[in-house]
Amino acid sequence: MTLIGELSLWVALLMALWATMASYAGGYYRRGDLITSGTRAIYATFAMVLLASIGLWTALLTKDYSLEYVASHISSNMPSAYIFTAFWSGQAGSLLFWELILSMYATVALITSRRRSPELIPWAAGTLGAILVFFLATNAFKANPFVRLDWLPVDGKGMNPQLQSPGMAIHPPNLYLGYVATAIPFAFAVAALITRKMDTDWLAIVRRWALVSWFFLTIGIVLGMWWAYVELGWGGYWAWDPVENSSFLPWLSGTAFLHSIMIQEKRGMLRKWNVVLVVVSFLLAIFGTFLTRSGIVESVHSFAQSPVGSWFATFFFLCLGGTIYLVATRLRDLEARAELESMISREAAFLYNNLLLCGIAFAILWGTLFPVISEWVRGTKITVGPPFFNTVNVPLGLLLLALTGVGPLIAWRRASVSNLKRQFLVPAVAGAVVLVALAISGMRAGYALIAYGLCGFVATTIFQEFRKGVSARRHIHGEGFVAAFVHLIARNRRRYGGYVVHAGIVMLFAAFAGLAFKTQHDVSLLAGQSYEVRDPYGHDWKFVSQGTSMSETLNRITMGVSLETWRDGKRVGLITSEKRQYLDSQKNPLFQPSTEVGIMTTPKLDTYVVLAGVAQNDQAELSITFNPLVMWVWIGGFVMMIGGLIVMWPQAERRRAQAGYTSVMLPASRISTEVPAGV
Amino acid sequence: MNRRSFVAQLVGGAGAMAAGARMALAQQPDAKPAVHDSMAMMRSNLFAMDQSAARTVVLPPKRDAKPSMTPDDRNALEHQIRCQCGCTLDVYTCRTTDFSCQVSPAMHRDVMGLVEGGYSAQEILNAFVGTYGEKVLMSPKRSGFNLVGWFAPGITMLVGAVLIARVIVRWRQRTVNQVEERPVRAPQHQPSSIDATAEELARVAAAVRSEDDRA
Repeated sequence: MTLIGELSLWVALLMALWATMASYAGGYYRRGDLITSGTRAIYATFAMVLLASIGLWTALLTKDYSLEYVASHISSNMPSAYIFTAFWSGQAGSLLFWELILSMYATVALITSRRRSPELIPWAAGTLGAILVFFLATNAFKANPFVRLDWLPVDGKGMNPQLQSPGMAIHPPNLYLGYVATAIPFAFAVAALITRKMDTDWLAIVRRWALVSWFFLTIGIVLGMWWAYVELGWGGYWAWDPVENSSFLPWLSGTAFLHSIMIQEKRGMLRKWNVVLVVVSFLLAIFGTFLTRSGIVESVHSFAQSPVGSWFATFFFLCLGGTIYLVATRLRDLEARAELESMISREAAFLYNNLLLCGIAFAILWGTLFPVISEWVRGTKITVGPPFFNTVNVPLGLLLLALTGVGPLIAWRRASVSNLKRQFLVPAVAGAVVLVALAISGMRAGYALIAYGLCGFVATTIFQEFRKGVSARRHIHGEGFVAAFVHLIARNRRRYGGYVVHAGIVMLFAAFAGLAFKTQHDVSLLAGQSYEVRDPYGHDWKFVSQGTSMSETLNRITMGVSLETWRDGKRVGLITSEKRQYLDSQKNPLFQPSTEVGIMTTPKLDTYVVLAGVAQNDQAELSITFNPLVMWVWIGGFVMMIGGLIVMWPQAERRRAQAGYTSVMLPASRISTEVPAGV
Repeated sequence: MNRRSFVAQLVGGAGAMAAGARMALAQQPDAKPAVHDSMAMMRSNLFAMDQSAARTVVLPPKRDAKPSMTPDDRNALEHQIRCQCGCTLDVYTCRTTDFSCQVSPAMHRDVMGLVEGGYSAQEILNAFVGTYGEKVLMSPKRSGFNLVGWFAPGITMLVGAVLIARVIVRWRQRTVNQVEERPVRAPQHQPSSIDATAEELARVAAAVRSEDDRA
C-alpha cells in the first residue's frame, strides 16, 4: 500500500499537470472535450492524492520505519490516535494533507458549480490544477513523505509531546481547511477576470467558499489559542508570534471580503475591491506558509523550516504578478454600477469596516516583517513583539468593535436622524451605563473600560435586533417566542447568523479586556505548606500543597503536584499540574520534559497553575495565575462557529431574494432604503 | 525509576536543549540546577535555544543609591526585555514559566542589580541595549528608522481613510450629477443591461412608487 501511495503521488502530479493544460486549452479554444478531460483530471488528481494519503496513513499505522517520515514522527509506544494525526505533524505529510484537502475542495467546487457557471469552469479548473501542480511538485521533489531510509530503525523518534494533545490533533486540519479554501475563490476570481464574466454567479460561488474558509480558519485559530493556553504554560493564548499572525491575516482579509461582498450584492459597488480581497486572502495564505517554512522570521512554531520556502516565494510572486496583470487589464469591467450617497450609511460603515480590517492586517504583516526589513536596511536586528502589536492594534480593534454595532443597524443609502435615533439611542445609553458603572466600581484600565462600554453597546444592538424581529413575527404570525425566534433566524440566516457571529465577537473582546486584570504569583511549596492570595475580584484563595507524586504510563513518566484549593474559606477542589518526560519503547527519554497545566475554570476566572520545576528537596516551584474571563474566549469562539454555520447553511434562492441578497445591479437612487427584516 | 533518577532525567532533558550544556551535564549528573524544565524547553524542540546567550549587564551603583522602582514596576520593565535564549518570550514570562532557562534568571539578576543601583527604567533599558543590541527590546525604540515601523500602520490607515473619503465624495458628486441630468425613469424602462429579475424590478417599482407618493 505504501508503494501504491508513493506511485499515486507522482501520478497525481501528472494528472494535475494535464488538468491545467487541458482546462486552459479547452477554455481558450472553446473545446468541450478538452474542458471535460481537464475537469475529470482534477477528479482523478483527488483520487490519486487520496490513494497517496491512504498509503502514508497505512505506513504510519503499520509502523513502517523504513520511511524516514514515519521514523521521524512516531514511535511504537505512542497512542494510536496520535499515530493517525502524525500524518500532518511534519512538513512532508502536512503538504500531502494540504493537497488532499485542495483536490477534494476542487472536485466539490467544480461539480457544484459546473451548471451554474459553465463558462468559468475551464479557467477555474486550470487555475486549481496549477495550484495543485505547485503543491504536488513541492511534495514530490522537495519534501517527499515516501523517502526511504538506508537502514531500518528499531523504533521511531516519536512525536513532539506538545503535538500529543487533542487540540493539536484537530487544530492543524482546521487551519488547513481554512487556508486551502481560499484557493477556490481565488481560482474562480481568476476565471471571472479572464472571461470578464463578473456576474452574480461568480459572486455566489466565491462567497460560499469564502465562508467555508472563514469558518474553518475561525475554528482553527480558536483551537490554536486553546492549545497554546493549555499546553505552552505561559499563561496566555496569543503571543503575536509570526505563525499565529500568519493564520490571522487571511482571516482578516476574508472577514473584510464577507462584509464588502454584501455591498456588491446589494448595490453593485466595490467590484474591484472584492476581487482584490479574494486574491489577497489566497496570497496571504501562501505568504504565511512561506513565512513560516522559510525561516525568514524567528518563530517558536517554525518547526517545518526547509528549502520549500524558496518554492513558496516563487509561487507567491507568480500568483501576485498574474493577478495584478488580470485586474489591471480589466478595470473597466469592474466599474461600480452604483454610487455611494452618504458617509452615514451602511455602505459607508462597511467601507470603514474594511479599512479597519485591512489596516489591522497590514499592521500585523508589517510588524511581522519589520525585523527583516530593519535588518536589510540598517543591518540591525530588532524585535517586534506584543508591545508593538498591542499598541497598534488595540485602538483599531476597539474601533472595529464599535462598527460591529453600528454597521448592521444603520440604513442603506443614507441614514436619517430619526433612523439613527431609533436604532442607536438605547444601545448607546446601555454602553454608557456599563462604562460609568465599571468606572464607579473602581475599574481604571482605560482600554478595558472602553472595551466593556463598547461591548455593552454592541450587545444591546444585537439584542435589540432579535427582540424587534421576534416581536414582529409574534405580531404578524401569532407564533410563540421560541418558534418566532427559530423562524426569524431560519428566514434570514445570513442576517441573524451574522448577528450571532457578532455576539461571539463581543464575548471575545470582553475576554480580551479581562487580560488587563491578570495577576501572576510565583510560589515555592513543600508538602503541606500553603499559599494565600487575593484574586482580581477580591476573593481570597488558599492553595495547600499535597506534595509531589510520580507515575509511569504508556510512553511517559509523570511528576505532578496537587494543590487543595479554597476560595473565601470554602474548598473548591484540587488543581494538579504535571511535568512529563516522554520515553521511547526502550525507556530512553524522548524530547524535553513537558508541562501539563492545571486549570480551574469558572466563567469569571481561570486559576492557572504551572509546575515550573521540582527542587531536590521535593519543593514544588509553581506559577499561579488568575486569568479573568478566559472561558469567554472559548465560548465566544464557539458562538462564532455556530453563527458561521447558520450563515453557511444553504438557503433557497427565493428566500435569499426575499432577504435582499440577490445581486441587484441597479441605479443607487432606485433601491429601497429599508433593510429587509426577514420577518 | 525513582524520584531522584527522574529529577536527574529532567536535568538531562533540559541539558539536551542547551548544546553547550549537554556534555557538561552528562559528565556531572548530580550537578545543579536544583529546579528543572518547563515550557520553553518543550518549545525549544521547535526552536533551538541558546542557554549560553546571557551576558553581564552591570553598572556601578549611583551615589546614595536606593531601589529605583517597586517590584511591580520592575516586573513591568522585564516585560519590555526579551530573553535571549531564543524562546521569543520576555524576561519576566520566561523566568516565571521556565525554570530550566538559565538566561532569563541571569538577565533578571542584572535588572535587579541595576534597580538596586538606582538606575531608572530607561537607563536600564539603555544598558541592556548597549550589551545585547536593540534586539533585546520587545519592541523597537521609537527613533530613527524604527519610526517607519511604528508609524507605517497609522500612515497607511490615514491614506486609506483619505482615499475612501475621496471615493465617497466622488461617488456622491456623480450621484448628484446623475439626478440633476437624468430624470428618474420607471423600472420598466431600465436598460436591458441591468442584471435584475422581474420580481426584483417589481419590488423596485413598488419602492419608487411609494417614494414618489411620499414626495
